[in-house]
Amino acid sequence: MSQLGTALVFWPAAILMLVWGLYVFRTASMARAGLLLLGALGLEGLLFLALASEFLGVLMVLMMSGEMIIMVFFMVMFMPDPGGLMGMDMVHDKRRSAALAAGLGVALAVVAVITDWPGAVVSPDAPDVRAIGYEVMGRSMFSFLFAAITILFAMVGGILLAKEGGRLGLPEPTDGTSRRDERT
Amino acid sequence: MISLPVVLVVAALMFAVGLYGVLGQTNAIMVIMGVELMLGAAMLNVVGFLAFAHPDATSGSFLVLITMTLMAVEAAVGFALVVAAFRHSRTAEIDDLTELEG
Amino acid sequence: MSAATPFAILLVALAGAGAIALLEQAVAGLRPAPAAIGASIARRLREPLTLPSSYDAWLYHGAPLLLALAAVAALATVPWAPGFRGIDLASGTILFAAALAYVTPAVFMAGWGAGRPLAVVGGFRFVALMLGFAMPLAMVITAVAAPAESLRPTDIVAVQSSVPMALVQPYSLALWLPAVMAVALLPPFDTATAPDELGGGAFARYTGPEAAIVALARRILVLAVSGMTAALFLGGWHGPLLPDAVWMAVKTLAVAAGLLWVGRRLPRFETDRLLILAWKVAIPGAIAAIVLAALTTLLFYR
Repeated sequence: MSQLGTALVFWPAAILMLVWGLYVFRTASMARAGLLLLGALGLEGLLFLALASEFLGVLMVLMMSGEMIIMVFFMVMFMPDPGGLMGMDMVHDKRRSAALAAGLGVALAVVAVITDWPGAVVSPDAPDVRAIGYEVMGRSMFSFLFAAITILFAMVGGILLAKEGGRLGLPEPTDGTSRRDERT
Repeated sequence: MISLPVVLVVAALMFAVGLYGVLGQTNAIMVIMGVELMLGAAMLNVVGFLAFAHPDATSGSFLVLITMTLMAVEAAVGFALVVAAFRHSRTAEIDDLTELEG
Repeated sequence: MSAATPFAILLVALAGAGAIALLEQAVAGLRPAPAAIGASIARRLREPLTLPSSYDAWLYHGAPLLLALAAVAALATVPWAPGFRGIDLASGTILFAAALAYVTPAVFMAGWGAGRPLAVVGGFRFVALMLGFAMPLAMVITAVAAPAESLRPTDIVAVQSSVPMALVQPYSLALWLPAVMAVALLPPFDTATAPDELGGGAFARYTGPEAAIVALARRILVLAVSGMTAALFLGGWHGPLLPDAVWMAVKTLAVAAGLLWVGRRLPRFETDRLLILAWKVAIPGAIAAIVLAALTTLLFYR
């Protein structure tokens, strides 16, 4: 992609990504929050494409769709107010968290600008799909297998944690009270 | 035009947005969303370095692949923890989850 | 990709959607009548836009646009002829799956945005269905890409110059067809959007131009999945005598007619049975398909 084409894709996608990312935490509707996060991370995939990391960009766009839709489901399940119609307060430490986040963002941005990065003028030309394939199935194969086993552990552990009765297989109270209420 | 510092600044701002979510939200799932944004910012950093500083480093692409796996694993385990906590104390608000006792 | 490519893609999308609409009439036992289709479009465009009483405006109005975007993006990755293709990326088949993955949020947005209980249930049903069927879709693409040693659609068509993939990997085709029918909102997998389920499901409340966009996008989806099926499994533009593009068009329309015909003949299953099909049959089957595809590649293509 030409320099101009990269800039034409990069700037709108980057700005929209940041705005949507911020609105994830400003909207009261959980469906909107999840879908805005999907939009922000999908646009990040577009940024990868603009920066010539073609395979990573396409993969990001593909993977985020499924992951964020699951996120929306969990939000709707576990929020007392999924539609955002009751005006429930969902934030704490509002001022301190905003100040800390803004301070860190500015500090990181300043570091990024003032540092003399090596070779920062090379035109974007990331490795192609075939090279990534040889990397995964060659030098990095052990790490790749390790990631696979991590996913397997996460699957088994997640199911054990989340299944009814918890990891000990205790019967679930059926009258709507929690175990803590029962004990006290 | 786009250069490496521009990409890094965008990633820094995205990281800050994610941090704002992690610190400021009361619901556990919203905190997971913030962590996803922070991981996304880290990936954008790597892709920026890949594009402008080391165009032929395939191990950089591999690091992004691993980070994507990490995002999925983090979300899965996080959701499972939220389900377990919700079963135990009927809430997913982290301000109410103050005890480790089971 | 030249400057004229987007217009060519749109032309293919509109012409193809018209052809799919005619096929639908023929499969339903009616005489194909372009005039009837034109009249129904004109009626939709003249119709006033009525909105649901309580709804989420951004999600409701965004859903038809996202559906149309996903459908056109999926169509753009289909290789039509050696010199004519839209987006030609080295990971084009993954981009096809990625574009189709955004049908799910679009249907969910439509259902949630309409703010009616049955529409929300329709959106949830479709998400549940696609969480199951998106994985076999992507895994079958891996299996089909193995003989070509490339994820580029044109390379996969090129490797089928003598034998179409449907004969080499019939098991992959068997896993692929239910997945693409589910993602293209075709019966019998359309429990989320069928007119006689859930009072019309996720898209029931759309009126006027938005309903026309939804109807158009659904036809483009059918065209895109049929075109990709023809390219990945039936040898794409390879064929005797006729020109390349004609072969591709014939194969695409034949696949589309087959999908529509099968959909009209099969009963609609409940969503939980479809989920059993997806998680207990299609996903393990897709893993087996990848192994088998790797073996056939090593035996016959090296």
